[in-house]
Amino acid sequence: MTSGVGSSLRRPDGPAKVRGEFSYAGDLAAEGMLVGGTLRSPHPHARITRIDPTAARALPGVHAVLTADDVPGDLHFGLTLRDEPVLADGVVRYAGEPVAVVAAVDAATARRALRAIVVDYQPLPALTDPEAARDAPPLHPDGNVYRHVSYSCGDPDARGVVTVENTYRIGMQDPAFLAPEAGLAWPTADGGVALDVATQWLHSDQRQIGWATGLPPEKVHVRLAGVGGAFGGREDVTLQVHACLLALATGRPVKVEYTREESFLAHRQRHPGAIWLRHSADADGRIVSVEGRVLLDGGAYASTSPVVITNTVTLLQGPYRVDNGRFEGWSVRTNNPSCGAMRGFGVPQAAFAHESQLDALAAALGLDPLEIRLRNALQRGDVATFGQRFDAPTPVREVIEGVAAIPLPEGPARKAPGGVGRSAEGGAIRRGVGYAVTIKNLAFSEGHVDESTAEVSLCDGHATVHTACAEVGQGFVTVAEQVARTVLGATTVEVTQPDTLIASAGSTSASRQTMASGTAVHRACVAVRDRLLARVARAHGLDAAGLTVADGVVCAAGRPLTTVAEAAPGQTIRATEHFQHPDTHPLGSPEARMYVGFGFSAQRAVVDVDVELGLVSVVQIASCQDVGTVINPTQLLGQIEGGIVQGMGLALMEEVVVADGLISNPDFQDYLIPTIVDAPEIVSTYVTDPEPGMPHGWKGVGEPPLCTAVPVVAAAVRAATGLPLPAVPIKPEHIALGIGAAPTVTWTTPRPAAPDRASGVVVDEEPQDALGTMAEEGASPGH
Amino acid sequence: MSDEVEFSLTVDGTAHQVTARWSESLLTVLRDRLGVRGPKTGCAHGRCGACAVRADLGDGEPHVLCACLVPAATAAGGIVDTIASIGGPDGELSDVQEAFLAEGAVQCGICTAGFVTAATELLADNPDPSRTEIEQALYGNLCRCTGYGRIVAAVETAARTRREATR
Repeated sequence: MTSGVGSSLRRPDGPAKVRGEFSYAGDLAAEGMLVGGTLRSPHPHARITRIDPTAARALPGVHAVLTADDVPGDLHFGLTLRDEPVLADGVVRYAGEPVAVVAAVDAATARRALRAIVVDYQPLPALTDPEAARDAPPLHPDGNVYRHVSYSCGDPDARGVVTVENTYRIGMQDPAFLAPEAGLAWPTADGGVALDVATQWLHSDQRQIGWATGLPPEKVHVRLAGVGGAFGGREDVTLQVHACLLALATGRPVKVEYTREESFLAHRQRHPGAIWLRHSADADGRIVSVEGRVLLDGGAYASTSPVVITNTVTLLQGPYRVDNGRFEGWSVRTNNPSCGAMRGFGVPQAAFAHESQLDALAAALGLDPLEIRLRNALQRGDVATFGQRFDAPTPVREVIEGVAAIPLPEGPARKAPGGVGRSAEGGAIRRGVGYAVTIKNLAFSEGHVDESTAEVSLCDGHATVHTACAEVGQGFVTVAEQVARTVLGATTVEVTQPDTLIASAGSTSASRQTMASGTAVHRACVAVRDRLLARVARAHGLDAAGLTVADGVVCAAGRPLTTVAEAAPGQTIRATEHFQHPDTHPLGSPEARMYVGFGFSAQRAVVDVDVELGLVSVVQIASCQDVGTVINPTQLLGQIEGGIVQGMGLALMEEVVVADGLISNPDFQDYLIPTIVDAPEIVSTYVTDPEPGMPHGWKGVGEPPLCTAVPVVAAAVRAATGLPLPAVPIKPEHIALGIGAAPTVTWTTPRPAAPDRASGVVVDEEPQDALGTMAEEGASPGH
Repeated sequence: MSDEVEFSLTVDGTAHQVTARWSESLLTVLRDRLGVRGPKTGCAHGRCGACAVRADLGDGEPHVLCACLVPAATAAGGIVDTIASIGGPDGELSDVQEAFLAEGAVQCGICTAGFVTAATELLADNPDPSRTEIEQALYGNLCRCTGYGRIVAAVETAARTRREATR
């Protein structure tokens, strides 16, 4: 079938999008609508000694000015620890923290109202160094450590002949989706509130709105508005609660839309961090032991910091067999911008560090970078440092061999390093080739329930698919249509707008929606198909077990009987099905199953570097990824290419620059994301080894390409320059001035692992309960 | 001086009398005053191209620009064509729009109207652009989803389709 699973079916929302007619959250409008605005703290840390909204409230055209005193329900929200005030509560802990919100007749009046609110701040010292924050007096009643994890396996003190260590630094990356946050809220006749919003997770928004408004969930109606990109940055609440509070306070529809600068201030960033790693290997390059320590700056409020840290720490081993190791990490509170989910969710940081180490080991031993990776490649049946057995296909060797088989680019470079802003004159340009291989956990982890529900109906060959899965651009709507066409033989398919009338689909994150919502849709389609076939069997006096559906035709014993469209005229057949992955468990649990599954990816980068000006051009990135099954070749390529270019951005140019707690580049003038000139040629190949337990053997694909692109670009630039480059983004001055320390290489006396310590995971310190409130209610993140 | 200004503006073939603040951008006038929502607000400082429109600001030389950077009053008497003016003669998709769908150049789509607008102008001027020429024409448009590979492929496909159709 040309439109089913495996085909490059076009996006059903595509025609509206190319015509400019698709409605995004920013396009929302309603009769009698007010415009909301947000007053934000200019200080990274201050005590609020006075807020006086009187003058603002008195302005003509101003319908509401709300402060913390006006929040009817619980003031605090958050994805895990619920430590963040909806509006500042006597103290502000980051620059940009919402202090008050207004609703007015238009944007200009709203801005005037914001200026008229009197706030007296008593500035406090800003704690912006995460290392200092860990042991400093608490910035918040919940303390400064979001989560500390520490565990070991085997004999961490085992040594091979060579030991390399270094500290790697990763900058803060902004998701930088192109449509700033927007939503429209209005009071509903049932005394509740409705919100159309660009989000990744409708039911999480619903729950958190319920806390602040004091409304029960059934009176908080959240519906997805058109989403202009997400990449993790819409997983947390930003304007959702404010818009609903304003709508309830004014009795009118209220639209809130952020500017680009507000978007930088308001949503969560990728965690910046420092990672120390020590690898020891034998003379053949086989890893004997790994020790690692991670410090992530979580910023002012928890968001998903307690979850991100375990991803980073546990995946420091990379896609390699590591029998002996000691790993520790902290995510901590500072007065910097809050960090949370961004595509990769803690793994790009780990990947940059472990791949830098593999290259350092290879260099010390005179080994080829591919060879050292092949010698250490994880295989199915191996056990991770965190105790989990890799019991599904683990094609690490295959992705490495796949990428090695892709031809190198030929001929002279088409463009000089430097991108749009600056082109090198040529002369001191050197080419470099680098490799990287990564592991990414897929779906929610550590006991966070990963589930979805789908309702499918079929009438005269037309299928309707309903879930709460947020389409954010990734193409779930296409996948759902392909499944309905394949399983049901539907001739037309409508995927309806997600809302909270159906059960939660969880977040569109963690590379999980094809696996979770796709499987729920598949199950519902199978149920509908079976009911249809039962009716056909009854009508024809046949055994339903002998009936099948293929290409829209119902066949009996392989012979066409009727079409799906004509099989049950005028009758609607409906089914609702739920899917939940097998349980996972926290790090250190006896079940030793933290993660649902894994994806593996290998890439090779070819770069040209102007070593005097420090400018880089990425010529080509070749990729081979473990994708389970190819559901839609065109959409898959879009995920690979898009992920690679975002990773390349983190490697070379993207950094939210924070000085003394203030973002100095909250705009696209100074926060640079890759342009079409920066984007490399990408060659993408796949290993298709079906994932057990999943329909068609599919698995998540969205995050691995980004995770691998960060270290692979760095490796290629190192190869071109001979510089250690232990930090990303690699800035021109790092190259031109040679900034950054080289790994320390020590030749060691081999000491085999002590046999009495050679099995099992030991959690050194009982990790605090980091699952938080959401887990208790059955839906929390963990990517 | 009044803080408002009144002027005429032709948008997608329809003449409008507009009253706007002097400080308002053409993008604000299009979206908020005229309800023309095809041009999108991505950054509002001329760095993303989501608001790209083709405009003749009075000099008889229409070209693609960022509507967010144009003070609306300087467009007085001008002619603006947005994404709504792009399409086939009978209301079907243009070859550029068709190619964007076929090649997977659309994901979230917030940048798409701007890219289609810029690519349409490119192909009107240059029926056989090289990869470098495509990059030069489109580097003012940011896309965060696709990594640009499918967009380049779409422009190349549209160019090839058009050359073959006119051969």
